[in-house]
Amino acid sequence: MNTIASPSAEQITKALLPQKFGRAGTIWTSILVVLCLAGLVGYYRQLQNGLVVTGMRDYASWGIYISNFVFFVAISLVGSLITAIFRLTNVEWRTPLTRISEIIAVSAILFAGMIIIVDMGRPERFTNLFFHGRFQSPIIWDVIVITTYLTLSILFLYFPLLPDLPILIKNSKAGSGTQKFYKFLGSFWKGTTEQFRLSEKAIRIISVMIIPVALAIHTVTSWLFATTYRPGWDSTNFGAYFVSGAFLVGAGGVVVAMYVFRRAYKLETYITEKHFDNMGKILVMLALLYFYFNINEYLVPAFKMKKAEEHHLMGLFTGDFAIMFWFAILIGMVIPVITLIFPQGRKPNVLFVMGIFVVVGAWFKRFLIVTPTLLSPFLPIYDAPESYSRYFPTWEEWAIAMGSLAGSLLIITVFARYFPIIPIHETIVEKTFKS
Amino acid sequence: MKRYNYLAVCIAALCNIPLPGYAQPSEKSSVRLALTYNQLNYNLPILKASAKTKKGKKFEPVEGVEISFFFANETSRGFAGRIKTTSKGEASMVLPARFKHQFDSLSTCLFKATLTSNDQFEDASAEVEITKGKIELALIELDSTRTISAKVLIRNDTGWAAVPGVDVKLVVRRLLSDLSAGEELYTTGETGEASASYALTIPGDINGLVTFGAKIEDHDLLGNLTTTKTANWGIPLKPDNTFAKRTLFATRDKTPLWLLSFPNLLIAGVWGTIFYLLYQLIKIRKIGKTSSTT
Repeated sequence: MNTIASPSAEQITKALLPQKFGRAGTIWTSILVVLCLAGLVGYYRQLQNGLVVTGMRDYASWGIYISNFVFFVAISLVGSLITAIFRLTNVEWRTPLTRISEIIAVSAILFAGMIIIVDMGRPERFTNLFFHGRFQSPIIWDVIVITTYLTLSILFLYFPLLPDLPILIKNSKAGSGTQKFYKFLGSFWKGTTEQFRLSEKAIRIISVMIIPVALAIHTVTSWLFATTYRPGWDSTNFGAYFVSGAFLVGAGGVVVAMYVFRRAYKLETYITEKHFDNMGKILVMLALLYFYFNINEYLVPAFKMKKAEEHHLMGLFTGDFAIMFWFAILIGMVIPVITLIFPQGRKPNVLFVMGIFVVVGAWFKRFLIVTPTLLSPFLPIYDAPESYSRYFPTWEEWAIAMGSLAGSLLIITVFARYFPIIPIHETIVEKTFKS
Repeated sequence: MKRYNYLAVCIAALCNIPLPGYAQPSEKSSVRLALTYNQLNYNLPILKASAKTKKGKKFEPVEGVEISFFFANETSRGFAGRIKTTSKGEASMVLPARFKHQFDSLSTCLFKATLTSNDQFEDASAEVEITKGKIELALIELDSTRTISAKVLIRNDTGWAAVPGVDVKLVVRRLLSDLSAGEELYTTGETGEASASYALTIPGDINGLVTFGAKIEDHDLLGNLTTTKTANWGIPLKPDNTFAKRTLFATRDKTPLWLLSFPNLLIAGVWGTIFYLLYQLIKIRKIGKTSSTT
């Protein structure tokens, strides 16, 4: 505890303490709030009139809500990558990135759960999943594993936050609501050896446990698709394909977030070019891995070109979804790999753009996994109107989907407003130890 | 206001812009209307109308137009109902029960379908006149030889008379379509009868019941007639009892034991650890409170 009193510790504390929103922060938050409200209006209309307000019909019964769900689950995996895997493998430069990745994980998994409820025609029957759910259904597995991962992610965010809470209490306005909130969360943390021992032990346990749970969450999500017999989904490769894609989008999300926080809070001393360089290398590796799985997923079926799957595959390669498909492959994998293999490509500005490319590409990739398959059934529905064989989201769907993405970003933004986005105590210990 | 209207007409005339209030009515398309008479098992007949319009070189169905149906004459007394066409341009209705007495008493019936007062299409009509007929279906089993026999009768002034030379389909009725019981078509003989020996072995219901049918299609005089009858000539269906066992497709109380035990062990292990972590948190809290009091 003596280290906190040292001058360098004070400088670190001052630099890393949460700051009030500036003009840009206020505008950013306002935009997110407006998007969330638009999403609520869309959802109100959906509740009032039913799922008929969406573009989903008998064929495309899963649209951008489920694409969004898969995207959220994917990006949430970053919590286990940066925090757990890096912690267990003693990656030294991980400290400034751990909290960023954990809050991304928590906010993403929260909205993954919510968007599933939005996709339900009768959301008030959600509890039936728990009371009447069948263990044979992958949907139940998904509900269980999402709840577990959310709980673990919150604990993984909370335990390392404990040593920072006394610092926040000390540096907040006495008697203010914020200070009361900090006290509620961690006034009991006195920094005793025993408290540190218990906390470290808990973090180690979570680090080990969250990896299989994180793999399970995305594998189970992939099984929602792979356990059904449909073109494009009938694959034994799906679990690994989803997990590799999730690591890629998660790393891309962290790159974008670390760039934004670095710029907004002037954290150049803590999030250095070395961090960007390392994250760039990781992105290349993950993009190549995901590219490998994509080749497996598309090239092998394309080589066989089974008649029943032809409509789906040709729709992706040269048909209605071709532009989106090649766009997602190019900006989600090919361009980032080509750019990031060069050291100049791993500089913060370029890497930030590549991070955005990866995230945007990943969102479209999720849509391409979900919807085109549904529009290419093995057995067409008898007497279905022609319009059912196409899908385009309505404004309500766009509003809800964008609102959920904004909601997730809003959680991260509000968190960064009240909590240090880089662990203060851990940074102080690390810097002191190094010096 | 008048001045504005005058001005608008002038500008529109100069610029050749059609104004909603002053536009010439656009030309109406012609419609081809067809009407058929369909009767199943001596019930009241079903009238089916279809509307098509020519677009380019093709005829396309006309959706959403109202077709009026009439029985005997096109008056309010003969008005049977008004139905909107489907996306296939079809409208059908069962002759209302109020016409039953009249329908039963007649040997020749006239039906009419009309399309009138439509903004897009010209008036059109179609009629069909039929002489009432019926098919008597018999399913005969003699010395393990099964025969389907149909007799076609037509109504005249004296009663019912046999009709020779009519094409009849003898079928087994299945869920989505009819299956020929023997040949594709049979023609009635002098006695108005046509028969087929039945040798198929196909599944029936739980008691082996199979529905057979005799059909006359698009006959100039009789229209479309169908008569059906059931007999236990099928193989009795053995119900699939898989749902009563522990399978992946069963109800939740019949979850396979391996699926119940293995994931639940995992869940117990993970959530047990989570509760242990929460317990650690409580311990940390207690230590903090104790140290602050001391």
